[in-house]
Amino acid sequence: MVHISDGILAPWIWGSGWVITAAILAYTLSKMKIDDVPKISVITAAVFVASLIHFQAGPTSVHLILSGFAGVTLGILAYPCIFIAVVMQAFLFQHGGVTTIGINTVNMGVPALISFLIFKAGMKLNVGISKNEILFGAIAGGTAVALAVLLLAVELLVTGEEFTEVTTFVVAAHIPVILVEAIFTGVIAGFFAIVKPEMLSIKKRL
Amino acid sequence: MRIIKSLSLLVLVLVLCMVLIPSVSAHRVQLRELISEVEIKAWYGGGDPMPNADVEIYSIRDEQEKLYLEGKTDENGLYYFAPELGTTSYRVVVELTGHKGELEFDLTAGSQPENAELPLYLSVLVGFGFLAGIGGIAAYLSARKMKAQ
Repeated sequence: MVHISDGILAPWIWGSGWVITAAILAYTLSKMKIDDVPKISVITAAVFVASLIHFQAGPTSVHLILSGFAGVTLGILAYPCIFIAVVMQAFLFQHGGVTTIGINTVNMGVPALISFLIFKAGMKLNVGISKNEILFGAIAGGTAVALAVLLLAVELLVTGEEFTEVTTFVVAAHIPVILVEAIFTGVIAGFFAIVKPEMLSIKKRL
Repeated sequence: MRIIKSLSLLVLVLVLCMVLIPSVSAHRVQLRELISEVEIKAWYGGGDPMPNADVEIYSIRDEQEKLYLEGKTDENGLYYFAPELGTTSYRVVVELTGHKGELEFDLTAGSQPENAELPLYLSVLVGFGFLAGIGGIAAYLSARKMKAQ
């Protein structure tokens, strides 16, 4: 649902999507080490197929995004991860469009970066529970979807979609996705914290 | 007198026969094919129908395109329309909040099979293949770097 097809948005919107994506990609890739690539590949594989897990929500069909999961596990490298996933979804699943790869990456990648910041901030906090990862993983996972939907809604409204249509079809339909991804990301962050802490972007300071 | 009467009766019978013959031959069966309704089906990848989506039908005549009909799909993602007289080429655009599909077809050419795309599990495998390749090359490079140190 958060993948916009070709020919819907005004050219200046998807054009600026490409510009933003190119800029963030250039920055994040400059920070990437070759040792990170196998881990990125594994997470990208998960993000890539997540969009196939879809269910009927009210009047429309929605699917998982897993951008929060990418942010929590990869940190800023979630951006190239989302970009590759979006490219492959566009060409292999005809999910979204080719001209909109840039803007779709912004819609999912920027929330992934923000979810990473939330997770990072949460790891420094002492909230009096033993597993910060679960709580802040869940918050990061849910926030990432909510922000992605918000960005999409704004772009559709700017393009001239009707407000009621956008809010009911896009925003309301994604409430179950927000919940599912919050639970998923929280559980998986807690699991990695115990079993394989190096899979997380940030380690808890003890 | 009797002869004249029977002759006139004969003439009457002949005339009646002549009148009746065409109506007998008109029992030839006539058939004509006419497509009175076209069904448009819209669904998402994975098979969920696309209900309540905006549909635009453009008729194409002499390579000139004009908006013919507008409407919405029903709850099963279906939309029916009657074709324009004499026009067989159409372009259909279905759109719903950021999702858009297009189809160009000709009524005389017949319908395309639904699953013309690569099967889903193959697409997934192809994707995994790419990623495994990228990951593998990177793992190889980083292993070589470690060895060199």
